[in-house]
Amino acid sequence: MDIQYTGEHLLPGQIGRLSIIIAFVFALTACVAYFISATRDELSAASWKRVGRMAFFAHGAAILGIVASLFYIIFNHYFEYQYAWQHSSRALPTKYILSCFWEGQEGSFLLWSFWHVVLGVVLIFRSGKWEAPVLAVIAITQAFLGSMLLGIYVGDYKIGSNPFLLLRQTMDAPIFAQGNYLQFIEDGNGLNPLLQNYWMTIHPPTLFLGFAATIVPFAFVIASLWKKDYTGWVGQTLSWSIFASMVLGVGILMGGAWAYESLTFGGFWAWDPVENASLVPWLILLAGLHGLLIYKHTGRALRLTYGLFILTFLFILYSTFLTRSGILGDTSVHSFTDLGMSGQLLFFMLFFVLLSMAFLVKDWKKIPSIHEEEKLASREFWLFIGALILTLSALQITFTTSIPVWNKFLVLFRKIPGLSDFIQKDLAPPVDVAGHYNGIQVWIAIIIALLSAMVQFLRYKNSDTTKFFKALIIPAVIAVVLTVVIVIALEIYPPQYVLLLFASLFSIAANFNYLLVVLKGKLNVGGASVAHVGFGLILVGALIPNYTQRVISINNEVDFGNSFDEKNKRENILLRKGKPVLMHDYMVTYKADSVSGADNFYVVQYARINKETGDVREEFTLYPNAQINPKMGLIANPDTRHYFTKDIYTHVTSVPDKKASEEAEANFERDTVTIGDTFYLAKAYAVLESLVPNPQHENYQPDANDIAVGASIKLYTLDGKIFESTPIYLIRDRTASTIEDEVKELSVTLRVERILPEKEQIVIGYKQKDLDNDFIIMKAIVFPYINILWLGSLMMAFGMLISLVKRYRDNLRIFRS
Amino acid sequence: MKKTHIAALILIVISIGVIISITSDFSSWETFATAQEAEGKEFHIVGELARKEDILYEPEKDPNYFAFYMTDKSGEERKVVFQGAKPQDFERSEEIVLTGKMEGEEFHASKILMKCPSKYINDELEVKAVAAEN
Repeated sequence: MDIQYTGEHLLPGQIGRLSIIIAFVFALTACVAYFISATRDELSAASWKRVGRMAFFAHGAAILGIVASLFYIIFNHYFEYQYAWQHSSRALPTKYILSCFWEGQEGSFLLWSFWHVVLGVVLIFRSGKWEAPVLAVIAITQAFLGSMLLGIYVGDYKIGSNPFLLLRQTMDAPIFAQGNYLQFIEDGNGLNPLLQNYWMTIHPPTLFLGFAATIVPFAFVIASLWKKDYTGWVGQTLSWSIFASMVLGVGILMGGAWAYESLTFGGFWAWDPVENASLVPWLILLAGLHGLLIYKHTGRALRLTYGLFILTFLFILYSTFLTRSGILGDTSVHSFTDLGMSGQLLFFMLFFVLLSMAFLVKDWKKIPSIHEEEKLASREFWLFIGALILTLSALQITFTTSIPVWNKFLVLFRKIPGLSDFIQKDLAPPVDVAGHYNGIQVWIAIIIALLSAMVQFLRYKNSDTTKFFKALIIPAVIAVVLTVVIVIALEIYPPQYVLLLFASLFSIAANFNYLLVVLKGKLNVGGASVAHVGFGLILVGALIPNYTQRVISINNEVDFGNSFDEKNKRENILLRKGKPVLMHDYMVTYKADSVSGADNFYVVQYARINKETGDVREEFTLYPNAQINPKMGLIANPDTRHYFTKDIYTHVTSVPDKKASEEAEANFERDTVTIGDTFYLAKAYAVLESLVPNPQHENYQPDANDIAVGASIKLYTLDGKIFESTPIYLIRDRTASTIEDEVKELSVTLRVERILPEKEQIVIGYKQKDLDNDFIIMKAIVFPYINILWLGSLMMAFGMLISLVKRYRDNLRIFRS
Repeated sequence: MKKTHIAALILIVISIGVIISITSDFSSWETFATAQEAEGKEFHIVGELARKEDILYEPEKDPNYFAFYMTDKSGEERKVVFQGAKPQDFERSEEIVLTGKMEGEEFHASKILMKCPSKYINDELEVKAVAAEN
């Protein structure tokens, strides 16, 4: 018999499911129509283009329909839908509802797809004759992304994962045998607490816009090869690649800001595979952008540029594969869960590898190149070197990030007889991951910084070397002086870091100089210089805090003797409630804790004191919080005190299990006392002063027939404070009961358990919370000069924006003329 | 041969050299026994918490000393010492990934990665208790 389900809201899901199919079908239609348009002669091309357009608009409308339905379901807490149930809960503040949307794979594919639609619509109106081939590439990508949401079976193979499945369709539980099951599902699973951060509402959309934008240079490359037009694509592609670099760069840095603020590894960059997966395409995109500049000005490096823009997009697909196939498994803390789509993702990637290789190889010989050699003192030669080095940097990061992928290959090799003895063990990531990447990337950063300092002073084709060196003298001197000052002040001694510091400062000074002297301060043409200054600041802002950060919560209370080696850093400190502890320059006190929703806030007061006089110079309070999440344990959220020159970063690493200790303390101890007797509590001693008739208590409403006796008790603490308490013993309707009284300051609850009239004694019961059990374990780190990093990020983005505006205006001028 | 070609070639040769040299940074998945053979060298070890043994963490004595026993993939059980705070809900971990080295009979971990039961997905349905009257 069919079960009649009640209370479900099926309409939004039906609209969503239908929209998915419509979006997929129209993406394919748009692709086919644009493909035909791109291959036909002018007359029939125009009509096919109209078909393509209509289909793409219909596709875009359907994508909006999916987005709206899914959002509606999450926003209204329709927990009959698996996606809403799994990623949201009622208690979640409205501002994080958006984060629920893209917490899951399906939602984030949707976000990506949404941006492709936006970019596609812009390109329909702005790309002129490139519309058909460019949109054909975007439409086929949309078909691939759309298939990730289909959730249909072809034979036994499931294609995609549909976000509109109902809970009862995805789960097998006895509750679903009841038609009114929804009444019993009160709340959803909730959003991962780590994602409940304002950065998580803006970082993913920005990052995915960056991801999506890389398709535009790629599509133009394919279009250019397809139409064998090797010059017309340059202007637009330059704008778009600057746009993509800017947005992707900002998206990555926002991720760093989120990690810095809400994760507890202590820093903004951990070389986690998921972070690397978005850094790699960005580096290659930058290389491609510089390659395109060479081609635009000298006609060289076209093949390199094609290759780099193709590689950028392929690496976007590769990082999608890495982060979503579940292959990262043990090596990353925050990859997506495996939805069993790895085959599909692999196909997605391989399709574009083959497609782009086919285009590139077929016309390789026809791609124009200049045989005459470039001069050593030319801008193009050094831009070329820079582009290569950026690419190598990206390849090294990929090589190490891909360790889990290599292991899959090793499994295959192991099957070859004779090889199995050599390859026994699986590879694991380096033990010191950050050290591994930093050790290599620092040299690359040095070279890139030096190049970015000098290259603008060279001219395309050929330059006057004497002039070139002269122009660099002043910036070099400034950089040397600053380097020396900083090295001495901050005690940065390892040679590679000194070199990096110099190279970055040199880049900042030289680009500043270029902007002021060569460009005469005209900001509208100085985008590159501003961006390079920003890049230099990012390097300085990454180097200094990373190298000079110091854990100040060093625990000196315990003497370990020699039982541990240098690894013994003792980085966590125990703070008892109310007991100040000296930590570096600060007297730190854990004052109180409070609960707000799912968060526990710990009030930690810092007082910077003069160690000689004991005067307090400055006081502030931090509120590190922790969610004791039933599924993930303690999720600590740091709180940071920001200064202009440093940040003090504090997070809780452990708290005692209060519930367990409260249960253990629920038992009353008891003493039998006469008037005038003293009994002893943990924090005070207590004297039974007298027994009072007709006592008063806030929890006691007297009745005419009551027999009530209050025990007047005085409590004396060791530091001289006196508290009073009057628990009551009550006989009403021949039933005895007791009214407890709590002395909050001492965490003691008192009650009269029995009265023994014949002996003139009473039995006092008391329970006391163990105050010693109220502590937090905390870690505090000082990050000096972290603001340089944020300043650099803003400047780089600003510089790219200036360049974008300038290139866009150039394009308009060409467009009109 | 063009300068760009020479430069590209040099860079490729250097990067091949670098890539070969960085593979020496790569660690491997070991067991306590194989890690013992290279005592003092750091490795990755996967295992499970040995639940019948005590977990030692007394923050009031020392918030930076945490010790427990782990059974590795080969079934061998060893004491593991970590210089830091005990991760909350450690007892509930399904699988533990340790980075660290053998020191005598003990394994000194520098990093602990816990795999909790369904860290991101919880397939248990929490259902409101059905009142007796219904």
